[in-house]
Amino acid sequence: MNFPEDLRYSAEHEWVRVDSGRARVGITDFAQDALGDVVYVQLPDVGANVAAMASCAEVESTKSVSDIYAPVSGAIAEVNESLADAPEQLNQDPYGSGWIFSVDMTDPGELDQLMDAAAYRQLVEED
Amino acid sequence: MAADLELLDEVAAGREPILRLYRWSPPALSLGRFQPDDDVDRETCARLGVEVVRRPTGGRALLHGGDLTYAIAFTRPPGRAGTVGALYDRVAGALIAGLARLGVTAAVARNEGPGGAVCFATQQGADLRVGDRKLCGSAQVQREDSVLQHGSVLLRRLPFDETDLLRGNDETSRRQLRGATVTLEELGAPTGARAVADALLDGFRLRFDAVGARVEVS
Repeated sequence: MNFPEDLRYSAEHEWVRVDSGRARVGITDFAQDALGDVVYVQLPDVGANVAAMASCAEVESTKSVSDIYAPVSGAIAEVNESLADAPEQLNQDPYGSGWIFSVDMTDPGELDQLMDAAAYRQLVEED
Repeated sequence: MAADLELLDEVAAGREPILRLYRWSPPALSLGRFQPDDDVDRETCARLGVEVVRRPTGGRALLHGGDLTYAIAFTRPPGRAGTVGALYDRVAGALIAGLARLGVTAAVARNEGPGGAVCFATQQGADLRVGDRKLCGSAQVQREDSVLQHGSVLLRRLPFDETDLLRGNDETSRRQLRGATVTLEELGAPTGARAVADALLDGFRLRFDAVGARVEVS
């Protein structure tokens, strides 16, 4: 299981990569493994306001429909349109081409509420 | 289906776990959460008196009327016990135990079968089979800390099936669907809805403490 050191992580198994005030978000290797094969991603609308910890997208796998939560508040800047034709990218490359959306953050301080790789690894491995 | 979704609200309010067992009248075709509307032949559905509804869960089209539907909602446990696979295993254990009371030996299916618009034409890790034929299909949705899983146990066949109600199907599709599925009637098991519901409820009580049951069959 992969836990890139340069990312921040939420308790709901999303990762965040920050670049110049914009937070790119996806689901972790643990999350994609637990979900099973992803068959559809309902993306948020570009421009929509999202609140930290609130659901803003949904993922359907062969086993379940699950919410994706915004790890930080702000406005949706971009969404990964390639997931429409290739939702399996969430499984195959969850930290790269499987990214889901990015947020122009209204409060970068919220990043401090997220975990680093070591803490997230501990969360996932403790059961 | 809307009543199933309301179970999630009840669970969030602290009343859980909750199990519903019910039948459908008139028959209905339920579509998966993101299944395209275009899959449905609405004219034939109207002609046959089949209502079309959409599930909050994923998966593909499923014809209700000859089935008994279960819906269980509960708080998602933390950690690995709360993963999709772990929860399916727990519900599968309940269903398998319940079906055993009817003399039916079911097992969890593995991923196999063609893709496409019909739920029962494929098998995957949440479904139950007897031999290599599917008896029960299930689907799940997770909302915040609550989980709803529901599914159908096939009691008997209706005079028509999903291949009549979806576009792009033909006699080959129908034969494939029939060959891939089995009903309690075909297994020689009890098919009275009350008897089946009671058996499934017993199975759920083994796996879920203090489950509040609503058995909506006569």
